[in-house]
Amino acid sequence: MDEMLIKTDNLWKTYKMGTEEVHALRGVSIGIDKGDYVAIMGPSGSGKSTLMNLIGCLDTPTQGTYELNGRQVAHMNDDELALVRNKEIGFVFQTFNLLPRATALHNVELPLIYNGTGAETRLDMAKRALEMVDLSDRMTHRPNQLSGGQRQRVAIARALVNNPSLILADEPTGNLDSKTGEEIMALFDRLHRAGNTIILVTHEHDVARYADRILHIRDGQVEREEVVQRSAA
Amino acid sequence: MFQFFESARIAMAALWSNKLRSILTLVGMIIGVATIIAIVSLITGMNQFVSAEIQSLGATTFIVDREGIITSDDQWWESRKRKRLTVEDMDAIEGACQGCEMVGGRAITMRQVKRGNRHVDDVFIMGSTANFPLIVDFEIEKGYYPTESDYEHRRPVAFVGYDIIDNLFPGVSHIGGTIKIGGQEYTVVGNGVRRGSKLGQSHDNYVIIPLTTFEKQFGSRRSLDIFVKGRDYETLAATKDEVRVVMRARHKLRYDQEDDFGMYSAADIQSMWENFSRGAFVVMIGISSIALVVGGIVIMNIMLVSVTERTREIGIRKAIGARRMSIMTQFLSESLTLSVVGGAIGILVGVLGGAALSSMSGIPMGVEIWSVLAGILVSGGVGTLFGVYPAMKAARLDPIEALRYE
Repeated sequence: MDEMLIKTDNLWKTYKMGTEEVHALRGVSIGIDKGDYVAIMGPSGSGKSTLMNLIGCLDTPTQGTYELNGRQVAHMNDDELALVRNKEIGFVFQTFNLLPRATALHNVELPLIYNGTGAETRLDMAKRALEMVDLSDRMTHRPNQLSGGQRQRVAIARALVNNPSLILADEPTGNLDSKTGEEIMALFDRLHRAGNTIILVTHEHDVARYADRILHIRDGQVEREEVVQRSAA
Repeated sequence: MFQFFESARIAMAALWSNKLRSILTLVGMIIGVATIIAIVSLITGMNQFVSAEIQSLGATTFIVDREGIITSDDQWWESRKRKRLTVEDMDAIEGACQGCEMVGGRAITMRQVKRGNRHVDDVFIMGSTANFPLIVDFEIEKGYYPTESDYEHRRPVAFVGYDIIDNLFPGVSHIGGTIKIGGQEYTVVGNGVRRGSKLGQSHDNYVIIPLTTFEKQFGSRRSLDIFVKGRDYETLAATKDEVRVVMRARHKLRYDQEDDFGMYSAADIQSMWENFSRGAFVVMIGISSIALVVGGIVIMNIMLVSVTERTREIGIRKAIGARRMSIMTQFLSESLTLSVVGGAIGILVGVLGGAALSSMSGIPMGVEIWSVLAGILVSGGVGTLFGVYPAMKAARLDPIEALRYE
């Protein structure tokens, strides 16, 4: 699988803080193939969150181009980006970001509601996604009735439900104890082996090592690329 | 569509989980809608009542009396100085008027009516001509109405309402019985159908005697109400003019003097009532509009709070692909649901309040479907209108900022 999924060319992101211009990204050019498992690593303030927001189509670059799955997305408006996010990207957040009043099943259904999938299909797909993360027995639970690991698995099911071309995980183990964190990382492994493309954003090297490749970000640029030796994992 | 039901469901759940807040939020809306419903129901009830009363007069009948339709104190005092209308006036009209099919008259007083040691106070005593039940719609149940011959001979015969029968003739036959009005004995010859009470007043509390007998006992100082039934509706205006000419001649009025008597038909009473009720209606609409606007502002405020509280939720929804329109729809359907629930409660309160008012005051009440629909529509409209700004604010949130919101 060496078909290109993500191709960025000279991405810049500049914020205006009063009169001063802050360059969060200074010309990032990366390529990620379908089926890749890539970690984006860097200390806080390195620009990795900005890069993740751009890759996740939550934001647009000040300069440069970004091609996602064959489409230029750098100049899209709000609603077009929303469509791309819905279709192409499954988000997994550090704080899970589930709707507190909704059941696990309903949380997983949500992306399908926004692309107009019919009720029955939606229910089937949501159930299947929850089965994939071994939560078939917790479908009617609300987030506050679930453990941290279970919540994150609901979030992963939500990310998977729409068969996105990319799963974008932002510090997915940041709010979990190390044992649960390992379980979640094992789940990502499994998803990767099943053919999913995964981008992992983290500042922990131990977590980043689950990926095949690590992009080290510093001062808004790709500092170096590290290929993880499987035997070490 | 699904999104709407979804949002409505979420809105209901949110409403339910903040009961006190919801009730406070909806007070303005409830008051606004309740006022509309209650007032419309009462005015409708009054309309039905008034038109039922007026219809008993018939479309071609008009009344000539001393006062006319009085709408101010001054008019009333002025009318007190006018000449009485007399039996002679009535006879003159009957003699001269070509367009008149029937002319009748009545005089009224309130007296105590006795039988043995039983009595009924403040009975409506009416002296009338024999043709009276033919001019106004008056149903005879038993016996007969005092006749032309009773009128000619000033016979002491009485036609009574059910209050008299119930109170003075319990368990005994009343026809042929004797009642006493101010020491004078009357023989009961008939009775009207039971009419019940309207506006808190019994409509069965009457005794009708021949007008001549009435004047013999109570004197002829009272002004008559003369009832004229025209031959047909098309010539009613001409018939009225005929009557006017007769009355003006009898009162020796110069051409530049105004009528010193009143003439009005069912339609005149109806239009006077409609003017009055329209005025009341406009005032009440004004009051309830203020309540609705206040209600709308409160809803807007609570929706702004809700948008802030749920910034993160909005961020999540946007991240997973909700477009601006979806977020907008969600919050609009919430404010719509909120306000329609308020409207529904308002309708309930209005109907119950109207019913309570109606049973206290005796004013009849008629709930109109259109006013209920209008209540729902207006509250929904207010909710949507005042929900637009918060919903737009929600829809325009930046997903990154929103996701970061604690």
